[in-house]
Amino acid sequence: MAGISLRQVTKTYGTLRVLNGIDLDIADGEYLTLVGPSGCGKSTTLRIIAGLETQTTGDVEIDGRVVNEVRPSRRDLAMVFQSYALYPHLTVRQNLVTPLQLRDMNFWQRIPLLGHLAPGRRAKMSKIEDDMRKAAEILKIEPLLHRKPGQLSGGQRQRVALGRAMVRNPAAFLMDEPLSNLDAALRVHMRAELSELHRELGATFVYVTHDQAEALTMSDRMAVMMDGDILQLGPPDEVYEDPRDIRVAEFIGSPKMNILPGQGDSAGRITALGVAVEEALAEPSEGPLSVGFRPEHLHIQPKDAGACFSGRLTYKENLGSDVFLHLAVEGIEGKAVIRAKPHEADFADVGEDVWFTGEVGKARVFGADGKRVTLAEPQLMRMTS
Amino acid sequence: MGHSRVHLWFIGPAVILMMGLLIFPVFVAAFLSFTDYNLGNPSFNWIGVENYDRLVTRSTYKKMFTASLTYVLLVVPISVALGLGAALLISSLRIGGELYKAVFFLPVMATLLAMAIVWEFALHPIVGVVNDILRSGCDVGLLHALLSGSWLGGDPLQSWYGHACAEDFPLWLGDKDYALGTIAFIGIWQGFGFNMVLYLAGLTSVPRELYQAAHMDGADSAWERFRLVTWPMLGPTNVFVVTISSIRSFQVFDTVEALTRGGPAKSTYVMVYAMFEKGVKQNLLGIGSAITIVFLGFVLILTLIQVYFVNRRVHYA
Repeated sequence: MAGISLRQVTKTYGTLRVLNGIDLDIADGEYLTLVGPSGCGKSTTLRIIAGLETQTTGDVEIDGRVVNEVRPSRRDLAMVFQSYALYPHLTVRQNLVTPLQLRDMNFWQRIPLLGHLAPGRRAKMSKIEDDMRKAAEILKIEPLLHRKPGQLSGGQRQRVALGRAMVRNPAAFLMDEPLSNLDAALRVHMRAELSELHRELGATFVYVTHDQAEALTMSDRMAVMMDGDILQLGPPDEVYEDPRDIRVAEFIGSPKMNILPGQGDSAGRITALGVAVEEALAEPSEGPLSVGFRPEHLHIQPKDAGACFSGRLTYKENLGSDVFLHLAVEGIEGKAVIRAKPHEADFADVGEDVWFTGEVGKARVFGADGKRVTLAEPQLMRMTS
Repeated sequence: MGHSRVHLWFIGPAVILMMGLLIFPVFVAAFLSFTDYNLGNPSFNWIGVENYDRLVTRSTYKKMFTASLTYVLLVVPISVALGLGAALLISSLRIGGELYKAVFFLPVMATLLAMAIVWEFALHPIVGVVNDILRSGCDVGLLHALLSGSWLGGDPLQSWYGHACAEDFPLWLGDKDYALGTIAFIGIWQGFGFNMVLYLAGLTSVPRELYQAAHMDGADSAWERFRLVTWPMLGPTNVFVVTISSIRSFQVFDTVEALTRGGPAKSTYVMVYAMFEKGVKQNLLGIGSAITIVFLGFVLILTLIQVYFVNRRVHYA
């Protein structure tokens, strides 16, 4: 078990800069997710940790030791690949013992057939067999040991790939979008199983995904990456509740946050779409702002009660427990989405104009540079308004 | 389906062409192989298995089988190994790979008959460049010592090179001890580029993630990764390359016809050349057909082996 640290890690391919100085400390036993859209550098970061790629500058430390010059296999890490990367010509059992044989047995002992004559092979083999059985037991893949990867379903291959990572009892697990080849139901199931496995093993997990839902549900902390930078690092609910950057706000959460174009004035008052918002800037200044509301923080109103936004209802997406109302609102691109309980939206029909308000205290306001703007404390706000 | 016969019109032409151009001639050859028919004769006699009996008893045909099998056993392993080696080296290059590909593939594209003439000059015992080069080494004391083994204290005359310096270098195509080896060398030179291209194609289909997994699993040396990933993943390519090379080597003809005409002393009397000599030059269609049928048998066996491997061992997906 070990912590992992990145210090000012950069990576350039020719003239293309994909990582702009990543600093990251992953604690021992932590489940950390690197999440971001494709091309943000998250997989590159993972592969630099693994040693499959070399950083252009900066240091990678594992357990306090700089490993820049250390081979992937000597870093004591295991990796699970998106395509699983199982050896297709080997059985599940052979796939699981391969990393152990490569680590524990010498060249002579690994020669097929003749290796059986090498001294000390039997003892090592039975130890390896034990370790393999243990991993197979935890992942419940014992009945599959004699099959080849081609004869397994996606979920079973996934387990075998996890098993191959587990057998060596590595300091940390690196996972590169391990669930993205599974169907939706299995993916949700495997999320729970991975979290459970993390608890059981107590090992460090570094998990790369483009799926914000996986990041939110599974990790202790998540790092949101975009354009080669870590924009925000923190526990999932903090990142969700308190996004520091408009790109984070839009990327995390589904349906995504509604961004309303707004304006600040010198008194600190905020308007969005020309409607006053019940918040105030901590440092008043004039200029354009973006006011973000999550779908669950917008509420549909039966009539214009003042300080309401309005839009035309174009689509009601009924999920049973909730209904998503899609509104065409003048002044914003795309659609505004409101999350409501079915009975709250009974009165609204598709094609009608409806009114909605933002919940007080839930607005997330971003400046023209995309960074979060501090709002005044509620008491202050009332005094100024 | 009803009573429609339309399907017959769709498959009919292909079936008729295949029957007429491929299957029928084989049956004709099989039939003729049991006769003593000579082209131009008004009639023929049914002689049963006499032609086949000759194939297994006469020393000429024993030499024929020896020559063909030796050629195949020389050319196939060496050209496959060289093809794989060249493909591995080229695929590990960052720059210059295209140039090497073109150079090694050149003999495949060149007309073998024209190349044979070039080889004939190069291998000429007196004016040929090969022996010229070999001979020039005899006068360089250091090179002579190195190649003849006398630097290790051996008698230079005992070694091949030292002996050849004293006597003369071989008549590559005119000596029965060297002719088949020389023809095989040209076959390898000509054929390995083709295998290399097949292997290069096979290598591109190996998923990169498998190599990365091997790195993570501790396959630190190139040899370990080759054993764990490359070689098994090339299984289907191997079967194909070995089969194709074997069939192509069994079919060797043009170099033999151009350079040795089966000689000297029938040492390069390979099957297809024998077919040509008996059936075409001497008009002995009966024995020529018998050789053809045996030849087809060899090719069929090779094909069946390939089908077996493709279906069984090397099919992963």
